[in-house]
Amino acid sequence: MSIVPKETIEVIAQSVGIPSLGADASAALAPDVEYRLREIMQEAIKCMRHAKRTVLTVDDVESALTLRNVEPIYGFASGDPLRFKRAVGHKDLFYLDDREVDFKEIIEAPLPKAPLDTAVVAHWLAIEGVQPAIPENPPIDAIVPPTENKRTEHGKDEGPPVDVKLPVKHILSRELQMYFDKIAELTMSRSDTSLFKEALVSLSKDSGLHPLVPYFSYFIADEVTRSLGDLPVLFALMRVVQSLLRNPHIHIEPYLHQLMPSMITCIVAKRLGHRLSDNHWELRDFSANLVASVCRRFGHVYHNLQNRLTKTLVHAFLDPAKSLTQHYGAVQGLSALGPSAIRLLLLPNLVTYMQLLEPELQLEKQKNEMKRKEAWRVYGALLCAAGKCLYDRLKLFPGLLSPSTRPVLRSNKRVATNNPRNLQGAMDGFSTQLANPGMTQASSSSGQMVENITSVAIRRDQGSDHMQRVSAVLRQAWKEDQDAGHLLGSLYEVFGEAIFSFVQPPEISFFV
Amino acid sequence: MEDEEMEKKVQQYLQRKGFRLTELALQEERNRLTTSALSEVALARSDNDPTRYSDGYSRLKTWAYSSLDQYKKELLRIIYPVFIHCFMDLVAEGHMQEARSFFHTFREDHEEMHSRDLQKLEGVLSPSHLEEMELARSIRQNKFKIKLCEYSYELLLQYLQKTQALVMLGIINEHVTFEVSPGQPSLIFDDADVVALIGTSKDLAKQINQKEVHWGLLEDSVEERMEKALSESDKIEAESKEADAEDNKKRNSESGKQGGSLKKAKKDKLIGATGKNIRTETSMVSVAPRVKRELTLPVTPVEVEQSILEDLRNRAQLNSLALPSVSFYTFLNTHNGLNCSSILHDGSLVVGGFSDSSVKVWDMSKIGQPAKTSSSQGDNESSQGERISTSDEGKRPYTLFQGHSGPVYSVAFSPFGDFLLSSSSDSTIRLWSTNMNANLVCYKGHNYPVWDVQFSPVGHYFASASHDRTARIWSMDKIQPLRIMAGHLSDVDCVQWHVNCNYIATGSSDKTVRLWDVQTGECIRMFIGHRSMVLSLAMSPDGRYMASGDEDGTIMIWDLSTGRCVSPLLGHSSCVWTLDFSCEGALLASGSADCTVKLWDVSSSAKALKMEDTKGGSTNRPRLLKALPTKSTPVYSLRFSRRNLLFAAGAISLSSS
Repeated sequence: MSIVPKETIEVIAQSVGIPSLGADASAALAPDVEYRLREIMQEAIKCMRHAKRTVLTVDDVESALTLRNVEPIYGFASGDPLRFKRAVGHKDLFYLDDREVDFKEIIEAPLPKAPLDTAVVAHWLAIEGVQPAIPENPPIDAIVPPTENKRTEHGKDEGPPVDVKLPVKHILSRELQMYFDKIAELTMSRSDTSLFKEALVSLSKDSGLHPLVPYFSYFIADEVTRSLGDLPVLFALMRVVQSLLRNPHIHIEPYLHQLMPSMITCIVAKRLGHRLSDNHWELRDFSANLVASVCRRFGHVYHNLQNRLTKTLVHAFLDPAKSLTQHYGAVQGLSALGPSAIRLLLLPNLVTYMQLLEPELQLEKQKNEMKRKEAWRVYGALLCAAGKCLYDRLKLFPGLLSPSTRPVLRSNKRVATNNPRNLQGAMDGFSTQLANPGMTQASSSSGQMVENITSVAIRRDQGSDHMQRVSAVLRQAWKEDQDAGHLLGSLYEVFGEAIFSFVQPPEISFFV
Repeated sequence: MEDEEMEKKVQQYLQRKGFRLTELALQEERNRLTTSALSEVALARSDNDPTRYSDGYSRLKTWAYSSLDQYKKELLRIIYPVFIHCFMDLVAEGHMQEARSFFHTFREDHEEMHSRDLQKLEGVLSPSHLEEMELARSIRQNKFKIKLCEYSYELLLQYLQKTQALVMLGIINEHVTFEVSPGQPSLIFDDADVVALIGTSKDLAKQINQKEVHWGLLEDSVEERMEKALSESDKIEAESKEADAEDNKKRNSESGKQGGSLKKAKKDKLIGATGKNIRTETSMVSVAPRVKRELTLPVTPVEVEQSILEDLRNRAQLNSLALPSVSFYTFLNTHNGLNCSSILHDGSLVVGGFSDSSVKVWDMSKIGQPAKTSSSQGDNESSQGERISTSDEGKRPYTLFQGHSGPVYSVAFSPFGDFLLSSSSDSTIRLWSTNMNANLVCYKGHNYPVWDVQFSPVGHYFASASHDRTARIWSMDKIQPLRIMAGHLSDVDCVQWHVNCNYIATGSSDKTVRLWDVQTGECIRMFIGHRSMVLSLAMSPDGRYMASGDEDGTIMIWDLSTGRCVSPLLGHSSCVWTLDFSCEGALLASGSADCTVKLWDVSSSAKALKMEDTKGGSTNRPRLLKALPTKSTPVYSLRFSRRNLLFAAGAISLSSS
């Protein structure tokens, strides 16, 4: 009848010293016991509410009992939640595990620590309605975008708007933290050791590094801005980026926005490294290739990725106020993006730029040797870019060299060969470096190069109408069906014979 | 025989003439006659057959569920009272077993709406319990009032008549009164009437609610003087502006189409408009009518008045677009012992009441500094056994007040922060001085734990609410209560003063909120609508509205003058511990056990109601502006400062995770 069975009443009666309780009495008592129980619980819930809690504790029941003038039951504390155990053999019988305690043990045990005293701390929960992202406030958006399974979880949570579930806190295991610290240390201080190479291999192969990616991307972005003067560190950082990009287990897309600026910085920064001997050209080349690979991989997912990149680069390239090093970086960056980018963005501006570059190249006009060397660097980069583009065109349409252009070229060549070799001195020593390591075709001898370049310089003086024609051809270069012959001709106008090293021997013979 | 013919004729006549109501009344009358005659027979026949209840009930239920959609909702309302009374009849007749099985079979029908009542009723197991339990008693003594549309009523009558469900008919006749309204079925919106079953009959509540309430603000308050000063300066400004505008016009006409000046004029206008806007916002308070003070009120010291004026001048304007900054005070290491907390209006003092009978006050201005400063105050131990230790050698960052002999359930600062009140389960209220760090008075009067205590807005007077079902008004200088407000059917859980000090509001476990006149001690309003125990109350600064929060997380806004609910605010998923209005009354902040502070836009609803549109304000409901989750910290108390900075306090509870 009631949830308290008669038998229980009888058992209780026996326990308080009434050996035989009448059946009627226990039957009458049972419902009343239940009622009293409920009454006590009702009072206990009131006490709980007034103690501003949502969980009922032993204290609440105790105060309810005192409210009803009943002696409280001793021996229970609200310290920790009671652990009930299921009785063996009974489905719904539970009991409290009451261990026997040895007094001696308790007396001899050291005193427990005093509990911490209550304290009040203040923080801003919101400032003008906006919650500041401080540790005292719950994270509004987890810093790490959730992985696949977490994302689905969040989707579910959005159902009832009432139930505000706090985002899962991102926890980094100890091992990963150590790994991260080690890599960071290696990158910053010992990037020349073989250990660092091992680390890079690990970064590019190991699975399970995904939780670290946000930290790495932050680390890289942070360090690049901080150590612009330290070339080895920058190089090491870029190598880390490369390894991360290579790792097939890492889902790097969400962090690209953080990594891209650092990489672009390493391409077009005005100064990279303190010392003159720092080979920042190599870093620029490396980063340019890195950025290009990113574009190739994620360009289809993020449509504006390449747009934004090229905009930055072209801007750096076309600004005469920018230093030559920046121009170099921009050219390398663009050329790394492939022939179509060169055709579209570099070639149309080539003639104008050459006019700008020319005075820097000549010994008599640019006295600063450092500046002149830089200018030659840029020239080399442009040549490589143009050559790459031309090579690509010729490979695509082999029969495109039309005979009609030949006379013009001939005449030009003749002019070119007549040039004096007055720039020989300036070219000594470093023109061999000009060739881009990736471009094996560009293996021309330094003498020939110098000759051609000089010829360009001379031809430049021959008349502006001629140059306009050349630039017009180059401006058309983006058109797919452009005659490769015209292109070659125009490029020849600009670069001289050096461009021929990008053309396959059979065609060159045909052409010449 | 003749009688029947007569009746038929009368009925036909009525039908022909279209007197539908009369016809129905006649029909009903006849039903009653026949059934009462019949029921005697029926009762005699099946007196000891308890299954008739469950049979009758289940048949009524299936009928109601299978009725037309449009009328179903109304008809379903009848089921609950029938269910309860069937159960109680069974109990009263002594069929314990049957009563229990009946209850369990059908309880899920009502679980959603009435789970708390059901939990209580479940324990009713003998006829004597029916007598003892307040809920059962009140249900027995009073009638449910159910609103029905004409057609639903007709449907019901037809059903009862056709099926000869005499038991059901008996119950319905005995315990339910119908309020039949012509036209379409009423909306489920006024469902509240059905839900709250109150001890006194509905009519009494209505009668009570017809009394007059002067909800205006006090005459000659500091705010009012400030407003006056402001409005005067505004007037001057406005005049000068008008002059400016005229100048502009002239200039415009002179210089023809000169774009610049035109633009400037426009700009001026814009500025004027926004300025006006702001002014209307601020003067929302001043719109409220003024009432005379009925209590002798203490005089505010001049320095305090100065500081109030200073605060008013620096007050940040809050509205749905400009949300307040919230400073949160987190209690650490409370070991589940913090029962209540309170914050002084400027946030400089925070007090916590603990279940170990202690009251602790933190001076937040000293918290950042090393605790040396407080030790200089020395030990101010009073001799009467109450111990106040002021930071033993600067070790303790707080002032400890000890004196209670039971968990402290409520603490409250006086308006100027000089005094502190605490109420405890030892049924006493204690007054402490924060300047002397000493216990001044112990007020004994309640017989049971005192759940809540609140200072009046001007100080000196305070109100307390207790488990003994009374609320009491006290003044600081007398140890006996000045007034005892009795009338709630269960514990009085919270109490709040009206801004003009002439009224207090109390929230109770009987799910009602009542408004009492302090002067007469009479209950002058009864607000019915909550579905569970009322835990928190707040009064709007213009004195017109009241907000109340309950155990389920529902907040209701009431219009004091009409006694009606403006609209419920749904959003919290657990107990609403605290509520507070911003100083202009544009925002309501609520703190809950679900670890959020929520900000509600209540200005729009207030305006809509002011216009008294007949739609019931449903178009312009107050909306949730912002929910600010805390880091697993239930919010115990909230307080807007006079400058509209919001302070919140709560104890972090890590065990919940």
